[in-house]
Amino acid sequence: MNDDLHTLSGAYALNALPYRDQGLFEEHLARCEACADEVRGLRETAARLAAGVAEPPPMALKRRVMAEIAQVRQEPPRPVRAREENVVPLAPRWRYRLAVGLAAASAAAAVAAGVVAVDAIGTAQDRDRTLAETENLLAAPDAVVRRVPLTGGGEATIVVSPGRGRLMFASELPALPADETYQMWLIGPGGIRSAGLVDGGGGVRTATLAVPGEAERFGVTVEPAGGSPQPTTTPILLTKLA
Amino acid sequence: MLATGRGPGLEELLGEVARGDEAAFERLYDRVGGQVFGLIRRVLRDRAQAEEVAQEVMVEVWRTAARFDPARGTALSWVLTMAHRRAVDRVRSAQAATDREERAARMAGDVAYDQVAEAVTTRLEGERVRRCLDGLTDLQRQAVTMAYYGGYSYPEVAGLLRVPLGTVKTRMRDGLVRLRDCMGVEK
Repeated sequence: MNDDLHTLSGAYALNALPYRDQGLFEEHLARCEACADEVRGLRETAARLAAGVAEPPPMALKRRVMAEIAQVRQEPPRPVRAREENVVPLAPRWRYRLAVGLAAASAAAAVAAGVVAVDAIGTAQDRDRTLAETENLLAAPDAVVRRVPLTGGGEATIVVSPGRGRLMFASELPALPADETYQMWLIGPGGIRSAGLVDGGGGVRTATLAVPGEAERFGVTVEPAGGSPQPTTTPILLTKLA
Repeated sequence: MLATGRGPGLEELLGEVARGDEAAFERLYDRVGGQVFGLIRRVLRDRAQAEEVAQEVMVEVWRTAARFDPARGTALSWVLTMAHRRAVDRVRSAQAATDREERAARMAGDVAYDQVAEAVTTRLEGERVRRCLDGLTDLQRQAVTMAYYGGYSYPEVAGLLRVPLGTVKTRMRDGLVRLRDCMGVEK
C-alpha cells in the first residue's frame, strides 16, 4: 500500500471515509496484511471510545428487540472468509475460483445492459460467456463482492467494479407465478431506473449490467410480467454500490 | 463501563447466539446494549432515531452472529463497529436528503466542534478513555472525536476545523495509534 492510502487507516477505523474511498481502501486491505492488522487494532481502540458514552437503553427497546428476533431467521456461517460485514474484498488467488463457482453454479446466460429475460436453461456457450464475463469483472482492481441477504431468505452475490462501470448479480431465486417477474433497478440522484428483467421461473439467475457512475444503489423487486416503469413492491434486495 | 465487554465470555456468548440461543442473546444484549445505544445516540442525537437504529443493530447481531470471526477482532468491537456504521449510514442518508450546499454553508458557519468534543469529555464514564483522550494533541482529539462521536467524514472534519484533508487523515491515524498504545489495546 502506498503511503497516502496507508494514512487512511485511521479514518477507515472511525468510519469516516466517504463510501467511495471506503471501497478503495478495503480493496487494499485485502492485499496488505500489515494494514489489516493495523486496522484491527485501531478498530478495537475506536470501540473502547464507546465505553465513554454508554447509557442505559429504554426497557421498551429490549422488549421490541427480543420480540423481533423471535421472528428473524439467522444466517448460516459464511462459506468464504470475508473481511468486513457483507463486503468481501477479493484476494487475487480466489478471483478465478469465484468466477468458476459463479459461472458453474449458474445455468443462466449473463446479459448485457438493457437486459431482457435471462433464460434458465443455458447452453455451454452461455456458460463460457458467463465465466469469461465474470472473470473479467473480478479481475478489475476495484472489484468488490457483496453477499446481500434477500428478504425472503437466501442471499445474492453482487460483484461491482466502479472503474469498469459493471455490476454482476447472481442468486438462486424462488419461482414466481407466471404473471410476475423479477426486475432490477439502479437508484441514483436522478431517481430510479429499470436495469432489466430477470425471469421468475426459479433457480439460479445471473445478470451483468452497466452501472452509470452516479448510481448509488442496486435493488430487485417482484413486478407484474413485462416489468414496471417504476418499482411497485418492496425490494427483495437493496444494496449500496459504493 | 470499560470492563463491560472485556471480560471473557462475550465471544462464547456470541457463539451460543449463533446457534439460535435466545437466552444467550438476552445476556449479550444486557452486556452490550448500553454501549450500542449510547454510541448511536451520541452520533444521531435524536432519541427516537437512536432507538430505531439500535434495534436494527441488535437484530442484525442476532441474524449474523454466525459470521463473527474471532480471528478478526473481539466480539465487542464487532458489535460496536456495526452500530457505528449504521449510525453513520443514517447520518449520511439524512444528509443526502438535504441540500449539500446548504450543509456546507452551515458547517462553514462554525457548528462549534468544541461542542462535540466538550460534551463527550464531560460525559465520559471511562476514566481511562478520558485520560487517554487528554493525552492527545488538540487536533488529534478533535479529529478522532468528531469522526467517532459526531459521525463526520474526514472531509467534513477538515472543513469544520479548516485544516487540509491530508492533515486530518494523518491526525486521525496518529491520534488513534496513540490512544491504542495508551489503552493497551493489543496490536
